[in-house]
Amino acid sequence: MARKMVFIDTSLCTGCKACSVACKAWNDLPAEKTQRISSYQTQADFTPNTWTYVRFREEYKDNKMRFNMLKLQCFHCADPACMKACSSNAIYKTETGYTLVDKEKCIGCGYCVANCPWGVPKIDEATNKMSKCTGCIDRVESGIKPACAQTCQPGAIHFGDRDEIMPQAQARVAELQLTNPKAHLYGDNLMGGTTYVYLLQDRPDAYGLPLNPTTPISLTLWKDIVHPLGGIAIGASAAAITVGVIVNFVRGNYANRAKIIAESHDEGGK
Amino acid sequence: MAKEVYRFSAGERFVHWCHGVAFLLLLFTGLGVLVTVFQPAMNIFGGIQVTRNIHRVVAVLFTLGMIAGFIGKGVGARQMRRWFKDVINFRNDDLAHAKNFGIEFFGGHKPFPPQGKFNGGEKLNSMFTILGTLCIVISGYIMWLAPSGPSLLLQWAYPIHAACALFMTALLIAHLYLGILHPDSNQALKGIFTGWVPAKFAYEHYEKWYNEEAKETIKG
Ligand code: HEM
Ligand code: SF4
Ligand code: SF4
Ligand code: SF4
Repeated sequence: MARKMVFIDTSLCTGCKACSVACKAWNDLPAEKTQRISSYQTQADFTPNTWTYVRFREEYKDNKMRFNMLKLQCFHCADPACMKACSSNAIYKTETGYTLVDKEKCIGCGYCVANCPWGVPKIDEATNKMSKCTGCIDRVESGIKPACAQTCQPGAIHFGDRDEIMPQAQARVAELQLTNPKAHLYGDNLMGGTTYVYLLQDRPDAYGLPLNPTTPISLTLWKDIVHPLGGIAIGASAAAITVGVIVNFVRGNYANRAKIIAESHDEGGK
Repeated sequence: MAKEVYRFSAGERFVHWCHGVAFLLLLFTGLGVLVTVFQPAMNIFGGIQVTRNIHRVVAVLFTLGMIAGFIGKGVGARQMRRWFKDVINFRNDDLAHAKNFGIEFFGGHKPFPPQGKFNGGEKLNSMFTILGTLCIVISGYIMWLAPSGPSLLLQWAYPIHAACALFMTALLIAHLYLGILHPDSNQALKGIFTGWVPAKFAYEHYEKWYNEEAKETIKG
């Protein structure tokens, strides 16, 4: 199946939060008590039962206020740090471009939580399993829009084959750039190219997004250097002692042991 | 007439075995997380979630045991502090021993200058173990207790913990060989069980210590 893409056009988002409700309805996730975080934001972060929420940032310019609103969920990176970090090979990529977790294999170690540059995965303490947006994989692979896109009234969430959606996204950026030179795409060249791509109207940090999300160097060091090198060190040590036993045997040191031990119990001194 | 001298107090032997048993348990339960194909072996203790908890419980006992070993005015604790001071004091004579160590390892012999209670090779092993243990304990508590989320603290704790675990295991393999399989040096094995080692063996391996201290304890 072709690679999919979801394009989120923040210039059309009205901040209605219907996407977060639709996500809960479709994925059978219980509602959680909301609280006022700041501005119109009522959810602080992802939780095991909240896979998408809207972040609000207020920006003031020339006595006018603009909301920077961002519907957040897993980006479904082409080269996901969570997958590299996973201790149990529980995270995998689909051909369609989604990053999914096999709950059978997941042990809840939290390695993915610490290494996702956007802090997406969360551990459900009750089940000891990682939990995050699935991209509505059951819907999208049957050709239906994800629940959040389906419900979006102003049409800010576009879903389709990457080949079709990407040119539309680029055209929309070009259009906006006529009046706002800061308009740009976020995600298309990050983490190998994300499945969820945003149109932002300002710098990423104005939305509370990292400027250069990357796979942590510590993660590469850990998985690509420490693990293999540590394995080699253990192998080399085992090989050295095997040679040690053989050489000692050939030299007759084992045959001599009774004599060595008897003599070593003499008094010390010349 | 089997003459022996006194080498390790009960306190030192306790800390050594506390460290050894805990290390093996932590290694086994840690490998269940590090090596995916090793995960089924965790069923011996009731599955991966159980062994993840064992890793934490043993970690706490391990940490408390280590600290307790150094505290107080008892003989054991004083000896532990002496060991620490001795092994971090690495001199030319120690280097000369460590240089010859490869030959001894493979069953040969080349003279080395008289050694103190701990020879150059043992000092190196001890220093690596002290450093590795400090790093693995600190990184382990960070991995366990740091707030979950993408933080540099947590991200760097992972490679440090894994590096210490794997390199200390490589060191342990050589340590077990010298203590159990090596036809000459394994005479020290008795010392870490009973406290006593053969007198002439002590003289040959730790001449300075033998003349200055051990000789007085000779029995048999
Ligand atoms: C004393 C303090 C220690 C603490 C608090 C500690 C804690 C931890 C924690 C929280 C984890 C993460 C896995 C999980 O959530 O189940 C872990 C992994 C691990 N631990 Fe420890 N640990 C300690 C000592 C040790 C020692 C002495 C060893 C070695 C022999 C060891 C070997 C491992 C290994 C091999 C892993 C897997 C690392 C990886 O996936 O790369 N740990 N430890
Ligand atoms: S956004 Fe985070 S959780 Fe989602 S695929 Fe990328 S690294 Fe994994
Ligand atoms: S919590 Fe689960 S998915 Fe995340 S790294 Fe650990 S085993 Fe993998
Ligand atoms: S794609 Fe599905 S699971 Fe992901 S945020 Fe949208 S509705 Fe929720």
